[in-house]
Amino acid sequence: MYCFLRLSVLLVGLIVSASSYAANAVQPLTTADDLGPKVEQPIEFPHDRHAGDAAKGGMEINCMYCHTYARRSIVAGIPPLQKCIGCHQSIESVRETPRIKKLFEYWEAKKAVPWKKVHDLPDFVRFNHERHIQRFVFAQNKPVQEACGYCHGDVKTMTVARRQKPLSMGWCVSCHQKDHPVDATSTKTTHGPNDCWQCHK
Amino acid sequence: MIENSFNRRDFLKVLGWGSATVALSGCGNTSVEDGKEFVTSYVQTADYIIPSIGTYFNSTCAQCDAGCGIMGRVREGRVLKLEGNPKSSINNGKMCGLGQAGVQAHYNPDRIREPLLRNGDKGEAITWEKALGLINEKVGGVRAENVAFLTGGVSGHVKALLKNYLDALGSGHHYVYEAVAPSVMRAANKKAYGVEMPRLRMDKAKVILSFGADFLGAWISPVHFSQQYARFRKADNGKRGVLVQVESKMTLTGANADRWLVIRPGTEGIFALGLINALAAAGLSVPGDVAAVVKEYTTDRVSKDTGVPTEHIAKLAALLKERSPSLIIAGSAAEGYAHGSQNATAIALLNQVLGNVGKTVEGSSGIPFPQMAPTTGNRQALQILNDNMAQDKVKVLFSYGSNPVFTAPASMKLKENLKKVPFKVAFAHYMDETAVEADLVLPLNSALEDWGTVMPEYIADGAQLNIRQPLMEKLHPGTLGMGDILLALLKQRRPEEYKGYEDFYSYLRNAMVSNKGALGGANADDNTFWEAALSHGMVKLVGSPINISSHVSANGLVVPAPFVEDSTYPLHLIPAVSASLRDGRNANEPWLQESPDPLTTIVWDSWVEMHPKTAAKLGIVEGDIVEVASKSGAIKAQVYVFTGIHPDVISVPLGYGHEAMGRYAKGVGVNAFKILDPVFDKETGELAMHETRVKVSKAGQRVIIVKDEGPAGGNQMGRKIAVRMSSDKVNLSKEV
Repeated sequence: MYCFLRLSVLLVGLIVSASSYAANAVQPLTTADDLGPKVEQPIEFPHDRHAGDAAKGGMEINCMYCHTYARRSIVAGIPPLQKCIGCHQSIESVRETPRIKKLFEYWEAKKAVPWKKVHDLPDFVRFNHERHIQRFVFAQNKPVQEACGYCHGDVKTMTVARRQKPLSMGWCVSCHQKDHPVDATSTKTTHGPNDCWQCHK
Repeated sequence: MIENSFNRRDFLKVLGWGSATVALSGCGNTSVEDGKEFVTSYVQTADYIIPSIGTYFNSTCAQCDAGCGIMGRVREGRVLKLEGNPKSSINNGKMCGLGQAGVQAHYNPDRIREPLLRNGDKGEAITWEKALGLINEKVGGVRAENVAFLTGGVSGHVKALLKNYLDALGSGHHYVYEAVAPSVMRAANKKAYGVEMPRLRMDKAKVILSFGADFLGAWISPVHFSQQYARFRKADNGKRGVLVQVESKMTLTGANADRWLVIRPGTEGIFALGLINALAAAGLSVPGDVAAVVKEYTTDRVSKDTGVPTEHIAKLAALLKERSPSLIIAGSAAEGYAHGSQNATAIALLNQVLGNVGKTVEGSSGIPFPQMAPTTGNRQALQILNDNMAQDKVKVLFSYGSNPVFTAPASMKLKENLKKVPFKVAFAHYMDETAVEADLVLPLNSALEDWGTVMPEYIADGAQLNIRQPLMEKLHPGTLGMGDILLALLKQRRPEEYKGYEDFYSYLRNAMVSNKGALGGANADDNTFWEAALSHGMVKLVGSPINISSHVSANGLVVPAPFVEDSTYPLHLIPAVSASLRDGRNANEPWLQESPDPLTTIVWDSWVEMHPKTAAKLGIVEGDIVEVASKSGAIKAQVYVFTGIHPDVISVPLGYGHEAMGRYAKGVGVNAFKILDPVFDKETGELAMHETRVKVSKAGQRVIIVKDEGPAGGNQMGRKIAVRMSSDKVNLSKEV
């Protein structure tokens, strides 16, 4: 009797363990999209309006006009509020729209906009924007939107940005294993670093 | 039933599977938490500010009074780490552990966040308007001579404002008190050389003889002296300087010395005079009056009095004669006695006889702005204030930058006398022992978010006005800088004079810019001058040099005979000033509590240092809790048995044993200040810190001492990694 009780407790433990393992274990080595949750932002920033194609009413602004730190820092950064205001103080046509009114409210109160982080890696992962931008945009002459899009998806079609890719280790590695030309003209190829400490330092 | 049958072994099995699952799920994607964290950008920012890349701003360290220049690494609007400012001629880019802990003073969770007014036993949060109004009302309601301002050492523009405020009140009662200060030495230097703080050129000396001056640990400006010491050890001519330390309790400097001579407490003066006699006997020319005074200090007598073997005295005399210039330093071990002034004078005389004055003991620089010159403190000031409080002469008391309730010996009855003061205002960072007693507590900005200027007392050459500037926004909106508070108080008294200054920053900028000619910015426009001063973190001043004179007279120099034995209190207590905790003002910074004492490796507690012979006599082993009782009180602490101490001496570190202040300081260790006997230096009236006699008795318990040193102690587990040699095997004469 006792023996059965003991066994049943053990079995329950095993099943719980196994099932939770199964739920977490499979990390696809794929670049397939993996849509993240919708994130509510203080101001629904229309990426499509700013960066989208002119044919669709966008202004085709370079990603790095606003996310200017991406090429010189490990983070891409959110532009300081003064950058938004720098343009919008001269754009009378949208001055009275609700979002822009809200933007100016923050500016007049000298308060930072509390944006939510959409692409949040765990603290033990160190992803460096500068390295990727320097390699793809400046060495290989890839279009900026394509290079950013490897990880961020087609942001120019979105309003509020949403995570498109899994950003898991397997996903990162799947790209690092591919060969890339070292620069725009060379035929030499190389792949991304596969040392643990490149990201886990 | 099931509890009985489900045994520990099965439980562990299930637990094992469970934890394996948790570990596995950690490999997945679960830590990506989109939309949970904020990413806050700047509203406005300079082009050079790049997120994730640190920017350095210069300021001035506030952890002790040395005034080292610091650079704070600031990232995303937060100060992360401090480094030394290479432009400062005090520390030349170097920094000590105490300074490193400055960020913990800034981010400390126990900082006071709003003005507190006493309501019974509690502090009630009030607004700044109300607090400042209350001060105005209270100082207006009493006679000016009944207002007293107690501060630690102050300098710069805050000192100038403080003086203006006291002038505006019509009261000159500014008491400057430092719990641990070389006051006796300052007085003796003034008498001997004409300057309080001559510049000690260790880099030029070939031999340093230090009487208990812990210049590598906690004495005056340790970071500066450490660099000088490095040059002394590796001189340009390739000759290595020899350091001899004479003291009763080994300090960090003593542990670094080539020769550590343990001396009977209080006989430092005898030793110095004996050395002069030995030097004269060895052929050094000594003036007649000096020779007459020292001739009775024969090597045999000195050896008997001091406990230093005769051959060491002879060797030391030979060394000093052979290698010139040398440098003789009087530290706390020499000045901490009732005859401390005589000891210090005897040591100054030794410097003079050796011809060091003007070579390794140099004059200082005059300060162009005397109203900003550093005010150095002493214990006598506290004594006078205490007497005045006892006689009900103080009605309103301000306290800033000192914690007298913690540092005053119990025999002063300071806490009781403080209760007689009807209105006490404390400017404080923490609810320390003095703030707890106050009626109104005003929270101060941390040093990393405050404006100010600091003029250090000791600087190698020239003079320097250090800038203290905010490295980041205030953490707590309810705190204010001392300068801002003084300015607000001055506006109450002299509104016409100060109404043009919106805050202390605008006052400071105006005061600096309008004097830019004297501050080395004569040719620069206002903005350029100001920006450069902030960028460098300091302004170099050109002061007229003060020449040093040497006129120590041997006439009337009497050094008393060694202590007589006291059978009730057989041991001498040396309150040790540690490099981390000093007088205890930084005790609430856990890094400092956690960093092991350099000699004993003990952390997070007080200890009683005791010689093995004494311990054996008393039947005490390491870890025994003992009661250390003086005529003025008793404390209980763990014993650490240590050979680096005279058998007649025990030592307890200062700075521990807070009853308030914060979570990391409160209740850790015991307060050795409390049991100091009220014995004073006969000439200066300073408290003689080393005069306390104690008895030690076992209190019954025994603990395991928490320390970094391994269980094998100095045995290195038999591996002989660092080869040890007993000191009498070292032949110092080879060095000559």
